[in-house]
Amino acid sequence: MIAPLTFESLPLSGRTRAPFSLSLAPHQTVAVLGDEESGVDQLGGYALGLESPSAGRVRVFDTVIADLPLPERLAFRRRVGYLPAGDGLLQNLSLRDNIALPLRFGSDASPREIDGRVAVIVVAVRLTDAADRRPAQANEEERRRAALARAVAFDPTLLVLEQPFDGITARASAELLEVARGGETAEGARRTILITGQELPTVVQRRCDRVYRLTRAGTLELETV
Amino acid sequence: MSSGPLTRIGSWAARWLSQLGALARFGFGGARAAALLPRAGRAVVLRVTLNQIRFTAVHAMGLVILLSGILSFLVISQAVRELGQIGATDLIGTLMVVAIVRELGPLITALAIVGRSGTAIAAELATNTVMGEARALEGMGIDPRQYLVLPRFIGAVASVFALLVLFDIVAITAGFAAAGINGMTGTRYAEIVLQSLSAHDVWLTVGKALAFGLILGIVPSYFGLSVRRAATEVPIAVSRATVLSIVGVFLCSALFVLLG
Repeated sequence: MIAPLTFESLPLSGRTRAPFSLSLAPHQTVAVLGDEESGVDQLGGYALGLESPSAGRVRVFDTVIADLPLPERLAFRRRVGYLPAGDGLLQNLSLRDNIALPLRFGSDASPREIDGRVAVIVVAVRLTDAADRRPAQANEEERRRAALARAVAFDPTLLVLEQPFDGITARASAELLEVARGGETAEGARRTILITGQELPTVVQRRCDRVYRLTRAGTLELETV
Repeated sequence: MSSGPLTRIGSWAARWLSQLGALARFGFGGARAAALLPRAGRAVVLRVTLNQIRFTAVHAMGLVILLSGILSFLVISQAVRELGQIGATDLIGTLMVVAIVRELGPLITALAIVGRSGTAIAAELATNTVMGEARALEGMGIDPRQYLVLPRFIGAVASVFALLVLFDIVAITAGFAAAGINGMTGTRYAEIVLQSLSAHDVWLTVGKALAFGLILGIVPSYFGLSVRRAATEVPIAVSRATVLSIVGVFLCSALFVLLG
């Protein structure tokens, strides 16, 4: 079976560190944690092909996204849900319109179908009361809910979440992780998920299949929860 | 190793050509991205475009009316007095059409738009980039040029055209008032201005609206999206966009004169 996401010998920041390699099996939820110096914040960009590593490669469903021509690259990214660090919500749109945006630009669905899909997602992430606010009018938890809702708008099988739980409560984090997992199958979560960040609430770590700590030396250490 | 003046001129020219090439690639890329828009995306782009036109054209109408009215009133008042002394008031029509409608009108309108909207577009897109919004769009599989650039480009072209027409109408009307105050009959003023106007002026207005709209839509967007992650890059991007837009508008204006 093809691994949804594979990092092969990537040099992350720093000169002396070992190359970074990691493979995510389908249905797994894997977290890679590390401090700012570890280079963990580069993994999401490399996975989506937003940046190209100086060596090594990243394969998503056996495809190197960064090598694709622009239109194909953009189309391929729609198969991957992405929650960037800092949310990346557009400030001039309501949270509802932010969630609808990838569907409006990346699908041939009619406006009515898109509105219907967005309404379902808004309820799933418990954003009904705040959906018509703009990001600046919403609190951090509501913004994070909207960013996750936007990431799962296409119902992707792979999710890349950068610092998804920073600044929100453990309870909200656990709730959002369940939305991200998208339900359970016999093999594990319905979606494969990569979470990057500096720390994770214990309750979230317990729901992960593997939690790694990326050291400054470049080694991956398996965390015990 | 010291570089001679020729080397310096050569490297300066190469830098400018490279910048022009990058701008052209950016513009063509944006046009190509427009062709790939799905139906729902077109509706979003239309909404953002209308918003851009509201800001760039509708909100700038007062400024353009003021500039056009005062400029035309001053020029025609002086011309009626001075040309009247030598019996050459017929030249007022030529002055109105050549100086104001063909040259100063488009230039002043474009400069007003650069000052109001060019800077705003560059600052907005640079902020979008610094806040990670442009990157998030790419991460979601949306070409940032579709959502961020295309509506501003279409909005700029439409706004320049609308404001140019407004400028010309106000200029001719203010000239009418100025001529009347300085002793020329309205019929005579209308007669000599209409004699000087031709279909060529209409096409020139359309051509300049398109060319200036291209510059004012593409240059600020290009510099706005060229920042990376530091907020300190925003004013630099705005400054570069403003300078290059002004230079572009003047060079383009000169090109129109050269091409006849």
